Amino acid sequence: MILLKMALRELMTHKKRSFVTLLLSAFSTGLFIFANAISDGSHNQLIRSSVEVYPGYMQVTNRAFEDNPGFDNLIFDAEKVKQELAGIKGIGTVAERFESYALYSTDEQSIGGMFTAIEPENEANVSRLRRSLVEGEYLSSDDTNALYLGVELAKRLGVGVGDKLSFISTGADYSFAADNLVVKGLFKTKLYEFDNGSGFVNKRYFDEVMRSGNIATHIIINPLDVQQIDALTRTAQQVVGKEFEVKNYKTTLEDLILAMEIDTIFGYITLGIFFIVIFFVIGIFAFLSVYARIRQIGVLRAIGTTPRQVVGMLLIEALILGILSVGAGGAAGAYASNHYEKHPIEFGSLIDMDPEEYYKQYNMVADVNLPAEFNPPKIMAEMLIMLLLNLLSVVYPIVMINRFTPTEAIRYV
Amino acid sequence: MRTLFLLLLFSASVWAVTPDAIIKKVEHNIQSDSGYSKITMSVTTARGERTMKMESWNRGHEKSFIKVLYPKQDRGITFLKVESTMWQYVPKIEKTIKIPSSMMMQSWMGSDFTNDDMAKESSIVDDYNPQLTAEDAKKYTVTLLPKEDAAVVWGKIVMEVEKEHYIPLRAIYYDEDGVQQRILTYSGVKVYADRYLPTVMTLVPQDKKSNKTVVTMDEVDFNAVIDDARFTKNALVRYSQ
Repeated sequence: MILLKMALRELMTHKKRSFVTLLLSAFSTGLFIFANAISDGSHNQLIRSSVEVYPGYMQVTNRAFEDNPGFDNLIFDAEKVKQELAGIKGIGTVAERFESYALYSTDEQSIGGMFTAIEPENEANVSRLRRSLVEGEYLSSDDTNALYLGVELAKRLGVGVGDKLSFISTGADYSFAADNLVVKGLFKTKLYEFDNGSGFVNKRYFDEVMRSGNIATHIIINPLDVQQIDALTRTAQQVVGKEFEVKNYKTTLEDLILAMEIDTIFGYITLGIFFIVIFFVIGIFAFLSVYARIRQIGVLRAIGTTPRQVVGMLLIEALILGILSVGAGGAAGAYASNHYEKHPIEFGSLIDMDPEEYYKQYNMVADVNLPAEFNPPKIMAEMLIMLLLNLLSVVYPIVMINRFTPTEAIRYV
Repeated sequence: MRTLFLLLLFSASVWAVTPDAIIKKVEHNIQSDSGYSKITMSVTTARGERTMKMESWNRGHEKSFIKVLYPKQDRGITFLKVESTMWQYVPKIEKTIKIPSSMMMQSWMGSDFTNDDMAKESSIVDDYNPQLTAEDAKKYTVTLLPKEDAAVVWGKIVMEVEKEHYIPLRAIYYDEDGVQQRILTYSGVKVYADRYLPTVMTLVPQDKKSNKTVVTMDEVDFNAVIDDARFTKNALVRYSQ
């Protein structure tokens, strides 16, 4: 108790020094928490955008489809596979797709593009297609000859909602397929290549013209809990058997995930440098602070204070400053993380060119919002790290000062 | 002795066949200035077999017209090729469509042939430099390498030609990395006057070895009388019936 009183009195006596140390540590803590929150938030958003725009969290294909994506390697009893998957605990929605390629043709233009069949209601739960509607209407399961078209492809074809166009393609049985379509709705996912080359129709209609009844190229799965996706992928693989391959976004977006991991590693390197700087700044400050009191400590030792009590007093000082600064910095960092999770930073105005043009170069979803991630357990852990860093930084000065004898300390100039 | 040497040299130069000449003689066997044929195309995949019947008219390399006769649902689909441009008329949607360059590598009527095969059949002569790379008692092996600025798909085509009558035996297509992509085999040779025509062509893509497309020429007329109007866009609709 006496050590606590001495520590408090010392801190109060040198208010300016205590305040600067506290401010330095609080600022570092807040910055550390917010920087991590922005990094995690932007990574998660990029992954979420890439996954949810179209690929989906989990997908099932014929095992040979990836190497040879022809019509010989499809899911031929799609209904049965869907039912098997739907029975797995933890799986939310199961939606089938048939991806094909067609030549879209108007009186003026003929352009090749993706021609994909979807189950409109189920698809709305596994991708952002419905949410990406910008004009007209989304598809329904009763639709025939209705096309849901990417805005950029619509521009190139010179069509709008209600306009007619035709398609020619190869049916699932390799027969010739063609029909007239009416544009029912336009979508914009902000993924330029996708908006520039994709059209969707109702699967039931598609099956008639493309002879693809009960056949799918992909079955897309939306898990109830994304955190459980690896276990769910293994379970789904066991259920559907070796003929099919179940992959989750960590595989389908492997390159993106790798880029994120590399970015995270660089983030850790930056943080490492940040830690070293903080450690030395606080350490030097503590060193100067302790050495300024060397004669005072010499007197304390001379009147009977043990080296252990000196260590205790200095550690309590560091602990008080650490708790106060980390608490204040942590609260500020947590507040900023929470605020910018709800109101992401809009950085479109910070780059010289049109953000959509900028993202188009990298074929990424053009999202100019930079959200933070408010993750209380992670913030607590980061606060603990900063507190430990504060305590570690005073260890060396304490060890050094205890090497002096009371006489040496009193005479120290 | 010197006279004998000169005589041998002279005779060698007279009888040596250049790769260009080999290709031209092959062309003579399989092409005509004004031809007509009835064709059966059979497409085999891992899931089954599909047969189509067609009529084809051509004027040299540059112009050709194809009409689908069978199956019933595809009857009346017509194709027109003029130089490297291709149009298609589809009765079901009553529309004439120009095949854009982006679709040229897509399958032609669900077969292993591509639109590019149909549109650029003449470019073997125009876009590739032939080199005689091997020769034995029965056949020549001619390697066709793309000319410098040629906009072609294949990195190399190796063609085997029977020596006596210049009948194509086999053509192996390689991509730009030198990987075999497909093998076209010629068989069923029939003689039409001075032409030795392989009436059966079998195309096997190397990445889908369970697939093959067999084109059989059921009827051939090398001297057909063809109206110029057949090679116009209007003909696509008119002759679709």
